[in-house]
Amino acid sequence: MIKIKNLQVSIDEKDILKGIDLEIPKGEVHAIMGRNGSGKSTLANAIAGNEKYEVKNGSIHMNNIDITEMSVENRALSGIFVCFQYPVAIPGVSMAYFLRASINAHFEHQGKEEMDAVEFLNKSKKILNELNLDDSFLKRSINDGFSGGEKKKSEILQLLCLNPKFAILDETDSGLDIDALKTVANGVNKFNSKDNSTLIITHYERLLQYINPDVVHVMVDGKIKKSGDMSLAKEIEKKGYSWLLK
Amino acid sequence: MDQTKNHSYNVFKKLGYPSKKLENWKFSNSNHLKSYNVINQDQPDIDIKQYLAIENALCFVNGKFVKESLNNFIYKNQISIGKTIEVKDNKILKMSNNFQGESLFNLGIAKFNEGIFIEFKKGGKFDTEIKIINVYDKKTENMFIPVFNIFKLNKKNNISIVEKNVNNGLDSFNLKINKFICSDDSTLNHTIIFNDNTKSNLLGYNYYESGLNSIINVDSFNYESLFNKNFIQVDLNQAGGETTINTLNLTKNNEHVDNNILINHNSEHCTSFQNVRNILQNKSTCVFNGKVIVAAGAHKTDSNQSNKNLLLSKEATAYSNPQLEIYADDVKCGHGSTTGALDKDSIFYLQTRGIRKEQATQILIKAFAHEVIKQFSNDTIKNEAQAYLGKWMNG
Repeated sequence: MIKIKNLQVSIDEKDILKGIDLEIPKGEVHAIMGRNGSGKSTLANAIAGNEKYEVKNGSIHMNNIDITEMSVENRALSGIFVCFQYPVAIPGVSMAYFLRASINAHFEHQGKEEMDAVEFLNKSKKILNELNLDDSFLKRSINDGFSGGEKKKSEILQLLCLNPKFAILDETDSGLDIDALKTVANGVNKFNSKDNSTLIITHYERLLQYINPDVVHVMVDGKIKKSGDMSLAKEIEKKGYSWLLK
Repeated sequence: MDQTKNHSYNVFKKLGYPSKKLENWKFSNSNHLKSYNVINQDQPDIDIKQYLAIENALCFVNGKFVKESLNNFIYKNQISIGKTIEVKDNKILKMSNNFQGESLFNLGIAKFNEGIFIEFKKGGKFDTEIKIINVYDKKTENMFIPVFNIFKLNKKNNISIVEKNVNNGLDSFNLKINKFICSDDSTLNHTIIFNDNTKSNLLGYNYYESGLNSIINVDSFNYESLFNKNFIQVDLNQAGGETTINTLNLTKNNEHVDNNILINHNSEHCTSFQNVRNILQNKSTCVFNGKVIVAAGAHKTDSNQSNKNLLLSKEATAYSNPQLEIYADDVKCGHGSTTGALDKDSIFYLQTRGIRKEQATQILIKAFAHEVIKQFSNDTIKNEAQAYLGKWMNG
């Protein structure tokens, strides 16, 4: 599904990723853990194609297609989706308009007819209900005045509406209370299937308890230092990161 | 009136055409306005049947009121109407002191012959909007057309006026002086849609006087104006007055739009809100000169002033000058101004959901404009702004 080779990325001339090698096959859920500043969010932005992040070396392949130089929207249309840690607020654009425009962009790319308003409302309302969000959420402007929890749920709503092939969840658990965490985790579990793959970026083990990833990686100073199973996440929860820095 | 006109002409002669040294004209050039000749009002050279057929519209051709338009005017028995030039009552005629120092305002007073004074009768019901259509024919090419209209709302009148120009691409200098007297408990919705096919020059002096608990909403949408300088002054003279000014300007090429707004809070418990948004392409310029003055004793004033400029070109220029002068203690006043290009992070976010960059850009421009459009008090201007915005972005 996604194959990253020797990825080196800098921002404002500062090297952040110093050679990432990562492969996530179809149907698997991987987690990346790491301290603040270790490069986790940089990896998410580089995969999404954010032009602020300069790829100095290496490659990203999605289903054997090199996407390293691909435009942001074409990456999205080829099935990449990022749940952002700090999604921007866009006053004046309703969630309904935004979601429908996004879905129809994918439909157009796939050669399908536009989704009509009724079908869209039925689909989105079902997901809103699962995320404990009111239907009126669709009328609100994108992330404008949203609470921390609403922002995360909005990202999961988009994830479930667009149903991408590969999803990255960038600290989707941060700032959530236990109920919201469970709701978000349920949403992610609903998304995960044998046909897609997921990368969860997090500091803590608590979200992983609900999602149970196949592989856990630890990132240290722009590189993947160690990989293992869920027991690695538990070990980090117990011992912290300092033992991995040596 | 002759005495007033003579006085105004002497003031104009003394002041001359405004120079850029004046605060109100710092960013607007008046030199090109010198070359226009005062129009001689004779028979119009245009077929106005189509405009006379519009329901509830008062038509002006080349600034001159067309009496026949009253035939289709449903409120003709609920108004009194006459020529401004024949008004004797100085209280009715009195304009803002602030305008008295404006040389071109004085030129307008000195040279106007056309314009009407309408008084809406007490107890009248005016549920349907009143359209004012200003049509200009070929004779207005290179002409200076001053018009002075006065509208008096009596107690509890609720009036909606939608003003629109039909210029047909002529190069003229249209100077419009408007006065609105809003008596106690009245509501005025004044909507101005400026569209002059990028050749004419518009200069407006709009003066609004509020009574006790009166509400004054001024909405304007401007597009395709080569030069449009619009002065708005609202005097909140009695307690409980409210005014809201919403403006959207779309400019491109070498167009120049200047909004000069003064709100005088002269009494307590009054509120005022200004929301002026400019979207600029190419080498166009926009100016916002906004001032709120809260007089001593105007306690419990609630005022907010916002100007936002979206620059879609590196060559476009926006000048923003929001000002507050407060001489009372117990007030709530805020103001803010932003100028910048589209937010790259927002474009990126939309792109990450599969939306093409061009579409993402258009969504964000529409969203910026929508923040004013949704505040407009009437559907005519809302629909026109929404419909035109798409064309403007692609044109």
